[in-house]
Amino acid sequence: MGQIRLTDLTKRFGDTVAVDDLSLDIDDEEFLVLVGPSGCGKSTTLRMLAGLETPTSGDIYIGGDHMNYRVPQNRDIAMVFQDYALYPHMTVRQNIRFGLEEEEGYTSEERDERVVEVAETLGIADLLDRKPDELSGGQQQRVALGRAIVRDPEVFLMDEPLSNLDAKLRAEMRTELQNLQDQLAVTTVYVTHNQTEAMTMADRIAVMDDGELQQVASPFECYHEPNNLFVAEFIGEPMINLIRGTRSESTFVGEHFSYPLDADVLESVGGREDLVLGIRPEDIEVVDATTDDTAADDALGDHELRMDVTVVEPHGDQNVLHLSHPDQPSADDALQAVTAGMHLVTRGDRVTVTIPPDKIHVFDAETGTAVHNRRHDQEADFTQLEQ
Amino acid sequence: MSQSSSTGSFDVASLVEDVNLRRVAQYALVVFFLGFFLVPLETGIMTAIKTNESVARSLPFAPPVGEGFTLGNIQFALEQLSGSFFNSLIMSIPATIGSVLFGSMAAYGLTMVNWRAQMGMLMLFVVGVFVPYQAVLVPLARFWNNIFPLARMLEPMVASIPFFQGYHAELVPLVITHIAYGIPICTILFRSYYQSLPNSLVEAGKIDGASITKIYRRVILPISKPMFGVVFIYQFTQIYNEFLFAFTLVTGSDAPAAPVTLVLPAIGASTSGIDFGIRMSAAFLAAVPTLILYVAFAEQFAKGLRTEA
Repeated sequence: MGQIRLTDLTKRFGDTVAVDDLSLDIDDEEFLVLVGPSGCGKSTTLRMLAGLETPTSGDIYIGGDHMNYRVPQNRDIAMVFQDYALYPHMTVRQNIRFGLEEEEGYTSEERDERVVEVAETLGIADLLDRKPDELSGGQQQRVALGRAIVRDPEVFLMDEPLSNLDAKLRAEMRTELQNLQDQLAVTTVYVTHNQTEAMTMADRIAVMDDGELQQVASPFECYHEPNNLFVAEFIGEPMINLIRGTRSESTFVGEHFSYPLDADVLESVGGREDLVLGIRPEDIEVVDATTDDTAADDALGDHELRMDVTVVEPHGDQNVLHLSHPDQPSADDALQAVTAGMHLVTRGDRVTVTIPPDKIHVFDAETGTAVHNRRHDQEADFTQLEQ
Repeated sequence: MSQSSSTGSFDVASLVEDVNLRRVAQYALVVFFLGFFLVPLETGIMTAIKTNESVARSLPFAPPVGEGFTLGNIQFALEQLSGSFFNSLIMSIPATIGSVLFGSMAAYGLTMVNWRAQMGMLMLFVVGVFVPYQAVLVPLARFWNNIFPLARMLEPMVASIPFFQGYHAELVPLVITHIAYGIPICTILFRSYYQSLPNSLVEAGKIDGASITKIYRRVILPISKPMFGVVFIYQFTQIYNEFLFAFTLVTGSDAPAAPVTLVLPAIGASTSGIDFGIRMSAAFLAAVPTLILYVAFAEQFAKGLRTEA
C-alpha cells in the first residue's frame, strides 16, 4: 500500500545540511503537504522520496519496502513538476502514454483506451493531438497530472504544481486536485511555500524550516496549537501578532502595555522570564473609542488598550486594520486586527482594543517553543460573525 | 535619422542630409572588404571558364570574351574527379553520421546522467579535442597498415558489394579514424546544448519508468534535431575537406580510392606547367557537395529552431 515512512533522513550538499534528521510517517491515502519558506528542504525531501537525490543517511520506506537503493523507475511513484516537464516534441496523447509503456499488464489498445479515459477525467480529451507549446498553462498542468494519474502509482509527488498559474486558476485547481485525490485515493505528498494551499488542501501539514521539521499536524492544530514561533508566524494570513516582553510576577510587560496573565497560563509559563505574547488578528476585538482621551484611559479594563488606526485594508468580507500605539507609532509594536466587513473603520480613528485572555498564545522568547496555546471550542455548532 | 515617408515619394533632401564623411568612410570600408573576400572567388569562377590562352592574356578577374570562353575545363575536371567524389562521399557521410551520433550520446551521458568520475571523463574528451593530427600520423599509419590491416581484411567483402570495388576497403580505416577524432568536438558542442535543456525532462522520464537509453532515444534525441543540423554541417565540412589523414591512410593521389582532397593538388599539373583553368574548375566542383549540404541542412536547422520556440 502507499504508506510512507521517513526515518532520520538527512541530506548534505557539501557543508550545507539541506534536510536534518527528518522522521515522518504518512498514512495510506493521506494528503500531506510539506510547507515552508524557500530553502527549507521540502523540495529536497520530495526528491529523495522520488529517488532523484540519494539521502546522506536515513531510510525511506514506501509501502513497507526499503527504497534507498531503488531507482525512480522502480518505485511506483508519479511526480508532477513545477515546470510540468512535458515532452515538447510529443503530442498530449503521446506524453500521457509514455509512462504507460513501461507498465506491464496492458495491451497496446488497452493503453490507448486508458489514455483517453484519463484525458476525459481531466477534461482534456479534445486536446489529445496537440503539442505542449499549443496549450495554456492550466491545460499543460492537466496534462502533467494526466501523465501522473495514468500509471495508477502508489504515491503522487507534487512539487509546487500550482505556482505558475494565475490566482483564479490556482483556486480552481486546488479544489480539483483535492477532489481528484479523494476519488483516486492515492497517498499524496505535496510541496508548496504557500500556506493557503497547505491549509486548504492538506489532511496534515508538515512545516519545515532550515531542514528541520517544525510540526506535523492537521491544519486546525497547526493554526490554533502551533508548536513554536515559526509555525505560528508561518501559518495564518494576516500573520499572528507577536509582542515581546518579560514576565513580572503575574503580569506580562511589553514595551507599551502590561497584560495580566491568567492562572493556567502562569502555570505553563513557570519560571520563564522572557516571553512572546501571540494573538491572532481575528481574535482581537476592536471597538470605536470615545473622543475624550484622559477620562477614557482610566476606564480601560485589564485586557484593553487604546490604539490608533494607521492603515485599513478592506477585503470585502473583512477589514484588516493596522494599529499602532498613540504615544509611539513605531512599526515594532503595531498590531494587526481583522474586523467584519461591515464594521467600517477609518484611518486615524482611535479605538479600544481588547485581547481576550482565553485566546492568547505564549511562547518562550529564547527557544521559540509554545508554552501556552489558546483554548479552542471545536464543538461549536454554529458560526456567528461578530459585528 | 529622419524617416522618409512610406507613401513612396523619394525624399532626396533627407538622403543628402545623412551623407557625411563618416558614413562615406564606413561604406567604403564595407565595399573594400566585400571586394577583398569576393574577388578571389569571382576570379576563380572566371578562370574556370577561360581557355589557357585567355588566362594568360586577360586580367584575372575579367570575364572571358568571345573565343576565350570554354566549358572544356569543367568537363575535364569532372571526368577526373568523378571517381574521387564518390570516394569522398562514401567516406565523409558515414564518418559524419558516426561522429555526430556518438558525440551526442557521449554528451548525453556526461551531461544529463549523474555518475561518478564524470568530470574526469569529460576532461579526457576536452583533451581529445586538442590532439594535433600531425602528431599521430605515424602511429596511425603503423596501426592501420601493420598492426590491424583492416583494409586488407575487408577487401574481399567490400568487393562483393554492388557498385563498390575492392580498393574501397581502404576508406574504412579512414572512416573509423575520422569518427574517433571527431567525437570529442561533437561531444563538446552537444554538451553545451544539453546543458541548456531542463533536467526535469530526464527526471520526468525516469519517473515514468524509462531507462536511461530509452530516455535518450525517445526524449533527448528528437529534441536535439536543430543541434544535429549544426554539428552535422560542421563535421561534414571538416571531414570532407580534410587532407592529412586521407593522405596518410590512402597513399597517393593516383590510388583509386583517393578522396577529392588528395586528387585536387594533382589535377592540372603536368610537366608543361599548371593548367589554371582546370585547377579552378576542379576546386569549385569539389566544393559543390558542401554547398548542397549547407543549403539543405540550413533550412531544416532553421525550421527546427522555429518549432522549438
